[in-house]
Amino acid sequence: MSGSKPDILWSPHHPDRYVICDSELGLYRIGPVCSAETKPGSLPLSEETAATLLAINSDTPYMKCVAWYPKQEPECLLAVGQANGRVVLTSLGQSHNAACKELVGKEFVPKHARQCNTLAWNPVDSNLLAAGLDKHRADFSVLIWDISSKFAAETGVAAEKSRLPPMDLDSGTTVTKPLYEIGQNDACLSLCWLLRDPKLLLAGMHRNLAIFDLRNTSQKTFVNTKAIQGVAVDPHFHDRVASFFEGQVAIWDLRKFEKPVLTLTEQPKPLTKVAWCPTRTGLLATLTRDSNIIRLYDMQHTPTPIGDETEPTIIERSVKPGESQIGSFAWHPSSQNRMVVVSAANRAMTDFTVFERISLAWSSTSSLMWACGRHLYDCMEESAEGAERAAEKDIATKMRQRAQSRYGHDTVQVWRNHLLAGGNDPQLKSLWYDLFYILQWSAEDAELKLPGNKQSLYSGIKNIVKSSSGKEVSSRRCWIGSERQTDVPRYHSEERSLALRLCGWVSRGSDIDVETFLRSLEQEQEWERAAAIALFNLDIRRAIQILNRGLSSSPAGDLNLNVVAMALSGYTDEKASLWREMCSSLRLQLKNPYLCIMFAFLTSEPGAYDAVLYESSIAVRDRVAFACMFLSDAQLPRYIEKLTAEMKDAGNLEGLLLTGLTKDGVDLMESYVDITGDVQTASFCMLKGSPGEVLKDPRVQCWIENYRNLLDAWRFWHKRAEFDILRGKLDPSSKPLAQVFVSCNFCGKSISYSCSALPHQGRGFSQYGVSGSPTKSKVTSCPGCRKPLPRCALCLMNMGTPVSNCPGAGKSEEKADLTRENKLAKFNNWFTWCHNCRHGGHAGHMLSWFRDHTECPVSACTCKCMQLDTTGNLVPSDSS
Amino acid sequence: MELHILEHSLKVASIEKEGIQICTHGLIKLAFLASKTRCKFFSLTETPEDYTIIVDEEGFKELPQSEHISVADATWLALNVVSGGGNASSSQPIGVTKIAKSVIAPLADHNISVFMLSTYQTDFILVRERDLPMVTHTLSSEFTLFRVINGETVAAHDLGVTNGFVKPKLVPRPIIHPLSSPSNMFCVTSLDPDTLPSVATLLMDVMFYSGGPKEPGASGEDSTHIRFFSFSLIEGYISLVMDEQTAQRFPHNVLFTSASGELWKMVRIGGQPLGFDECGIVAQISEPLATADIPAYYISTFKFDHALVPEENIQSVIVALRTKSTAQ
Repeated sequence: MSGSKPDILWSPHHPDRYVICDSELGLYRIGPVCSAETKPGSLPLSEETAATLLAINSDTPYMKCVAWYPKQEPECLLAVGQANGRVVLTSLGQSHNAACKELVGKEFVPKHARQCNTLAWNPVDSNLLAAGLDKHRADFSVLIWDISSKFAAETGVAAEKSRLPPMDLDSGTTVTKPLYEIGQNDACLSLCWLLRDPKLLLAGMHRNLAIFDLRNTSQKTFVNTKAIQGVAVDPHFHDRVASFFEGQVAIWDLRKFEKPVLTLTEQPKPLTKVAWCPTRTGLLATLTRDSNIIRLYDMQHTPTPIGDETEPTIIERSVKPGESQIGSFAWHPSSQNRMVVVSAANRAMTDFTVFERISLAWSSTSSLMWACGRHLYDCMEESAEGAERAAEKDIATKMRQRAQSRYGHDTVQVWRNHLLAGGNDPQLKSLWYDLFYILQWSAEDAELKLPGNKQSLYSGIKNIVKSSSGKEVSSRRCWIGSERQTDVPRYHSEERSLALRLCGWVSRGSDIDVETFLRSLEQEQEWERAAAIALFNLDIRRAIQILNRGLSSSPAGDLNLNVVAMALSGYTDEKASLWREMCSSLRLQLKNPYLCIMFAFLTSEPGAYDAVLYESSIAVRDRVAFACMFLSDAQLPRYIEKLTAEMKDAGNLEGLLLTGLTKDGVDLMESYVDITGDVQTASFCMLKGSPGEVLKDPRVQCWIENYRNLLDAWRFWHKRAEFDILRGKLDPSSKPLAQVFVSCNFCGKSISYSCSALPHQGRGFSQYGVSGSPTKSKVTSCPGCRKPLPRCALCLMNMGTPVSNCPGAGKSEEKADLTRENKLAKFNNWFTWCHNCRHGGHAGHMLSWFRDHTECPVSACTCKCMQLDTTGNLVPSDSS
Repeated sequence: MELHILEHSLKVASIEKEGIQICTHGLIKLAFLASKTRCKFFSLTETPEDYTIIVDEEGFKELPQSEHISVADATWLALNVVSGGGNASSSQPIGVTKIAKSVIAPLADHNISVFMLSTYQTDFILVRERDLPMVTHTLSSEFTLFRVINGETVAAHDLGVTNGFVKPKLVPRPIIHPLSSPSNMFCVTSLDPDTLPSVATLLMDVMFYSGGPKEPGASGEDSTHIRFFSFSLIEGYISLVMDEQTAQRFPHNVLFTSASGELWKMVRIGGQPLGFDECGIVAQISEPLATADIPAYYISTFKFDHALVPEENIQSVIVALRTKSTAQ
């Protein structure tokens, strides 16, 4: 601190005052900048605050350390430790009242002069001031002075021996007899009183940390260590202490004092100050020499006491209050996370607040919470209404709603799933239609070919087109209903018509007939699309007809349709005609993309259909179908390849038509999930259509597991069970094997599966339709040894449930006989038992018992079985 | 009580007065520019005969090779007694007196030669490295032994060698060397390392220029006046021993003085150079002082030993030691 190294102390009682000490003491008051602006001599500390110098005290030269008197009265009393070991009480800028006057100027002089390294006031008994001094061969290094002591009686005796000039020991303000002397022939570098007991003093001695007890000063608890500087007790956790040596901070637990519980990462430069934040638990600020940053270590989430095995979690970060090198810093005693920093060079001060890290949590029900400092914020989604708002809804909300409407569970009419999802998402619509066509095709395919043929796995139009045999069959066809020959070549092949089928343009069959498809589009009032498709099938008349119908069906009457119909009828294939010229320029003004591409098709040169193919607002299926009709074998795979890559990058589900549910499809789905987070669609879609090895992809498994977790988090347990059943059907490998068995107390065999292994008497009767006692007795005894199963603690009946599904069970009529009720034992009859006290009974009985009781029904058992089950008190939030 | 075996490997050297100028560069570096060297233990003591240097191996590299410098061939280790318990109640006598019975006498009984260096802060007992097993064996009963390794204090175990140690011979130790007591009075003091630069020139003057052959007239005035100055910088702590006149040349408030402002008189041991092999010399002096409960500093140099006792006790000390030497 001498000269160049300043230090800061906050007043323990005035939140707006602090002292800077370097070669002299300066008392400052901190306040808002506006009020201080007018005053000269106010120093800006931050944008809002400024400091005013209230008083300067330069009475005490050779200052080594300063400590502020902890009591309210007298305020602003400071103890200053000097280079020669003397401790002087001084005051700053206060009207000297009586109590203060008596104390100010008092000096405490050690027997042998040496540097005073540290000072610490006892926080409870504020008369006690501990001073840590350097080593002397015959003196003590920790002296505890009583500031109220009336100048030692033996001053006279000492003065007799003394050869010092008498002025030094005048007027009885000098105290030479400390209350306690500890640490002989040792050096004390840092001191602090322990908060857990005001009689305990922790001292950083030469090469060891020692705890002295004032009640018995000859004893000490100590640990040999190098980290003896800057000992500081965590104000929030009284057993936790920080100390440092050079660049390394050690954290100690006083209950486990043998070695530090933590050592923080070593800094290349030596540390100069370490301080616990008084307003926030477990936050330690450290400063190294010649540095312009303060490093913060957050130990809030570090378990205490720290076990030997666990790797403690400490969050390290640094704050930079300014550009200049920091001389010292001090936490504000009450303002949260606030500190004042003084620069090393020119006493420039900065007031700033360390911002808390923001911790954020999404709930699975789309609300968002975050905490900052002592504030907790909750952000709820507004209850959106209307279709357009639904699109903006958070994906979690959407998934939740879809789960409730059994989205994904329609395995027959797969396309209906998009309606279950709300029916307003074009991507989902296209996805489920794609899947529908694909499944339809592969079902037919499987019928045609031998089962198990690999060809039946759908691998996307991309691969179908690639495998195209190369037979290019092109034909120039007439416009339907006119004699004119078109100059548009149209290509045919088996693969192309398959692709068209998958796009949904044509239905099953060899001939290419789009009429059915057009009609279904008309039904759905997709006039423009229908017209475009009719046109692409070279039927202008039909296209015009469709447009007219569309015009008449909509009461408002879309003028566009009318105009387009008129324009279409004027079609001429003359290259240089005015019609062509005008259409190609005016088509861009048409809002509907399908209307737009109709003219693009009519006005473009054969084979150059970029205006159609790259019109991104056209459904992919239509573009692909168009490409399959009009692109040559050379152009087609290139276009498909390009489109696939585009779809994959955009995560557009329409692209699944191209990739199929292959690895490529998983890539596409991955980018879709990355963009939307919709693991639900991904899970269902992959389960529906993918072959086994694709399902094994870790990404797919991850989506499925996450979706299951999500369902659990929503407490949609029934939905999850349904999903698991569906998953087990579609992906048999996912069925978990039974891992828990109930074994008989007597024979040790599982009671559930052995019924078929051993022929049973009762079974013989049931085969003949004889019901009654033999069957009943069967379920309550072990099928292996026929000893009775345990009794229910409540009804005292032997437990047991009808065996639901015996693997390899005999005759099929017996199985068919069982109704759903009989097949599955009622849950009420299930075995349950407490894992803690091992008592149990029928599930139904137990549930009703614990509705009114907390303790186990078995007398003299005090186990609170139900409370031990943390999920037992939760109720599912879905109802099915 | 704890006994710490420090990690410094020390050399003891003597520089002739005529040869001092070739060493000043190194000595100034060691004394005042501690940050420029890796030396952690440095002591320089000027006596009328020579300069005695005690320095660790890092510091030894700073000294030149010269015929003016003679080096004791052994490597020395420093022992330091720490009062672990901190028995606050007993006001113990200062310095070697305190450890006379517990350390110095047992070592003398086992024929272990010691070299003492008292400083303002503590007492260092230097023993030869090769004697260490014997030292630990001798002192393990009385002390908890610690070794300092890389700055960490670790418990040192008795090396377990018990065979071949001679039984101590417990014989009375008469004082065999002649004693003298110079007339000037000394103070043992220290200063804040931060203020060292401000008095560096003065210290250099005192160390290298004040004494020397140019003042034979002064010493002639008072034949019993002795030229003696000691400076040590050990692990960051400075210790100074100088006579009263020299101390007065320092500015006020720079030197640490004890509250009682005590002064010390010297007892010089040896008529001719004592050498390094004779043991028991420190014990001969310190035991009577301990018996009489008189505090003392003890500084060994290359040729002679020096004990410092409080001035008011000098007469009783002389009497006590004389009776001891004549009693034989």
